[in-house]
Amino acid sequence: MECNSTLLTALAAVASATKLDVNQSAVLTELVCGYDGRISDAMSGISDAVTGTNTMFLLFSAYLVFIMQAGFGMLCAGSVRAKNALNIMLTNVMDAAAGAISYFLFGFAFAFGGGADSNGFIGNDNFAQSRFHADEPFARYEMWMFQWAFAAAAAGITSGSIAERTQFTAYLAYSTFLTGFVYPVVSHWVWSPSGWISAFNTGNMFLDVGMVDFAGSGVVHMTGGIAGFMGAWIEGPRIGRFDRTGGTQEMKGHSGTLVILGTFLLWFGWYGFNPGSLTVIVPVGKALNQAVVARTAVTTTLCGGAAALTTLFARRWMAGHWNVTDVCNGLLGGFAAVTAGCSVIEPWAAILLGFLAAWTLIGMNRLAEKIKYDDPLEAFQLHGGCGLLGVLYVGLLAKKSFLMEAFPKVEGTPYGLFYGGGGKLLAAQLIGAICIAVWTAVMMGILFYVLQIFDLLRISPDEEAAGLDRTAHGKSDEGKGGPTLLVPDVQGTSPAKQDTEATV
Amino acid sequence: MGVLDADGECFTAIRDELVKLESQGVNGTLLATHLCDLASSLVSSTYGLNTFFVLISAYLVFAMQIGFAMLCAGSVRAKNTMNIMLTNVLDAAAGALSYYLVGYGFAYGKDGNKFIGSGSFAMHDFKSDVDYRNWIFQWAFAAASAGIASGSIAERTQFTAYLVYSTFLTGFVYPVVSHWVWSPYGWLTALDPEKEHLFKSGMVDFAGSGVVHMVGGIAGFWGAFLEGPRLGRFDVRGRKQEIKGHSGTLIVLGSFLLWFGWYGFNPGSQVAIADQVSAIIVARCAITTTLCGAAAAVTTLFAKKLLVAHWSVADVCNGLLGGFAAITAGCAFVEPWAAVLLGFLAAWTLIGMNALMEKFQYDDPLEAFQLHGGCGLLGVLFVGLLGKEDYVEQVFSRGNFGGLFYTGSGRLLAAQLVGAIVIILWTSLLMGICFALLKAFNLLRISQEDEIAGLDLTRHGGSNYPGDDHHPAKLYPPTALGQAADSNAKNVYSSKV
Repeated sequence: MECNSTLLTALAAVASATKLDVNQSAVLTELVCGYDGRISDAMSGISDAVTGTNTMFLLFSAYLVFIMQAGFGMLCAGSVRAKNALNIMLTNVMDAAAGAISYFLFGFAFAFGGGADSNGFIGNDNFAQSRFHADEPFARYEMWMFQWAFAAAAAGITSGSIAERTQFTAYLAYSTFLTGFVYPVVSHWVWSPSGWISAFNTGNMFLDVGMVDFAGSGVVHMTGGIAGFMGAWIEGPRIGRFDRTGGTQEMKGHSGTLVILGTFLLWFGWYGFNPGSLTVIVPVGKALNQAVVARTAVTTTLCGGAAALTTLFARRWMAGHWNVTDVCNGLLGGFAAVTAGCSVIEPWAAILLGFLAAWTLIGMNRLAEKIKYDDPLEAFQLHGGCGLLGVLYVGLLAKKSFLMEAFPKVEGTPYGLFYGGGGKLLAAQLIGAICIAVWTAVMMGILFYVLQIFDLLRISPDEEAAGLDRTAHGKSDEGKGGPTLLVPDVQGTSPAKQDTEATV
Repeated sequence: MGVLDADGECFTAIRDELVKLESQGVNGTLLATHLCDLASSLVSSTYGLNTFFVLISAYLVFAMQIGFAMLCAGSVRAKNTMNIMLTNVLDAAAGALSYYLVGYGFAYGKDGNKFIGSGSFAMHDFKSDVDYRNWIFQWAFAAASAGIASGSIAERTQFTAYLVYSTFLTGFVYPVVSHWVWSPYGWLTALDPEKEHLFKSGMVDFAGSGVVHMVGGIAGFWGAFLEGPRLGRFDVRGRKQEIKGHSGTLIVLGSFLLWFGWYGFNPGSQVAIADQVSAIIVARCAITTTLCGAAAAVTTLFAKKLLVAHWSVADVCNGLLGGFAAITAGCAFVEPWAAVLLGFLAAWTLIGMNALMEKFQYDDPLEAFQLHGGCGLLGVLFVGLLGKEDYVEQVFSRGNFGGLFYTGSGRLLAAQLVGAIVIILWTSLLMGICFALLKAFNLLRISQEDEIAGLDLTRHGGSNYPGDDHHPAKLYPPTALGQAADSNAKNVYSSKV
């Protein structure tokens, strides 16, 4: 059929009815007339564009989540003593690298294998990406990339808790186990369409709503934090951290610069972690995907900002100065908390959550000190504590219309208690949190305990005093001592003679 | 714009037309369904793509915070690194809150007037994705402007003063300027083809050489000017003492991250990509941005070799950034060769501004006023000379104005000049008062002892590099504070066995 005047008039009417702008109207006409009215070809052309956009969005989000590895690496390096910086950074590299292998072989399959057809506890298909196909939402490459980046994040969190005193073998063992099995099972429960507590299990929805954890305050942060707790608790605190009279020795990290660099990179990457978790950005029918993504970026920003500001003033009041490391940790605690509800809470609620997350972290740190628990990165307090806060907060303040936009929910779905949505969502959040905590504690507890029995967990006191970089990573005494990265380029000792210029 | 069902409004609208085709044997109903589906997919895909583009650009602009934090850290002395980096974190964090509460409303609220926006306070009327994505993109710009100012007052300012000026700048001073130039209701704007513009032109500042860089730089100027230079910066006879930063590595890292982020700052300012015209504009911006920065860097390299006889890393980095600050206004409107020329000019502008400010004994640890203020102004005026008419028309959908050398008319240049002057006056007035008040209440500058010991030790709980025996930060002054910190360092975090 040719593009005669009737068809052109019809196209003009379509354009005006669908409110296309001048450019889009021209594109529409070109498409239809260009294909000589072969509408189906034009449709597939647009469908390609939609797929391309969504894929690009998911991949780019995966790359952003990946850059959080760099952020966590820098944060860790800056937060430990210089003698252990290489060690902790290597564990970060291995989380991503070894994690990729174990997630490829087993992890993804346990998490999403079988899609909606597997059982409620664990996935059972597609080991080693055996049957990946572009048309399978949960068995395609871009989804693997995104989910792997998340798995690597969870493993990274744990490494912070056991920093400065753990054998490298133990790192490899826990990391593989966590990324290959423990974490995937949790993500199956909450994110796979067949998971027993999943908010996507439309056939068999737990308490009519499932656990709502959009990007993983529970699945990622609680899992990583609790795994870290088990390791750090079983192996005990760093030497010198708690003295004989029960007092606490502060062990400062060796570079505030790296802490800030790492924190900012994590913030940056969080824009892939949270908004990316919708996994699509092109709207379909009434589903305003792009609105959910944009709003998620906003709530993430506001929660982190509020948490940072609250921590700034809280610590000023409590410690008497403006503390950089604490503000950075508070900021990250805010992000960990908003991760569950970023797509379903209102902006003002995100600010309130940030305020609460800051105090949660401060409280958790107090508690940790009381029970003589040592965590060099405050990882358990931050990811475990603020993660739990975030999970429960959803049960209180998930707005119904947002919930229906971000999840496949129907009219009549339970929503946030404070909006009048009943208690089912809060109950689901609580039950989910408890199950995640118990599962992770048991699995990782057993692993760390076995490692300890075989003397594979903690390093010796001599090694701890000398520092892992020298004893396990081949760092020699030659060259400058002190910070391994971003060494201040100082030649002389007098401030006036500092020289930052390269002499070529 | 909404997304419609295939058998809703769209179908009804075209049914009458398609009935006419039935005589040709065409199934009108099916065709109508298909055409409506097609149009609605087109809308969706455009929506998705544009939102994606704006969000990524916003994230890139946010990444400039990291860049600026590293640049600042490297450019100051080690004893003040925690302080300056914390101010960068707070620019973003506190800026998010003040921009949420009032800033965005003053900038883009639809219920205001030509001078200031109103409405959308605390996002109370936000509905669509366009609202949210605009907010996050604009917030990132506001945070950038506040960050610039912090460089000028580094190493000697009380933290309270930072919090006050930053909130005021992000919540009020900057949003009002952005309203004038970037809101379709603003009095200086070149947007909205339907209305009257200043000198039939309006001020053309694509991504903010004036709105962001001049505002940030001038705010910084007033803070630095009112509180005076760092101790030891100018000696008793008025000669300058160079106070170098403590890490060239961080300066370079920061500069590269800023360069990276600028690809969101400049091209992203088109805030759309899913149509041919936008795609062209975005790509052009990326090119002109790159070329201008590069030309500025190369020019600075050779100029400084001439002036100080060596290849200076820190200066080249600053020159690079000066180029970017300058091209920010005209990235969408100048030809590539013009971008190279601008880079050359920006490099010399920065060198000249530095020489000038030294004469006035003005001390700016990051050269922020010279760079953002000076090169920003250069960039604003440059558009008035070399903004190509065709490009201007492409962006603003109306013709008949452009740079002097293309059109022979000075209207655009005049608008640029008026805009620049008003921005200078507005920012100077408000930020001048702000800093003057802080000074009057003794909240601006830190004490001499604190300045000598360094802000990290005195206000931030300890050195940035504890335990680094090779570092001058260990040369604590012989005060009780210094001794206590020193002995602490020896006990707890010695890195030697």
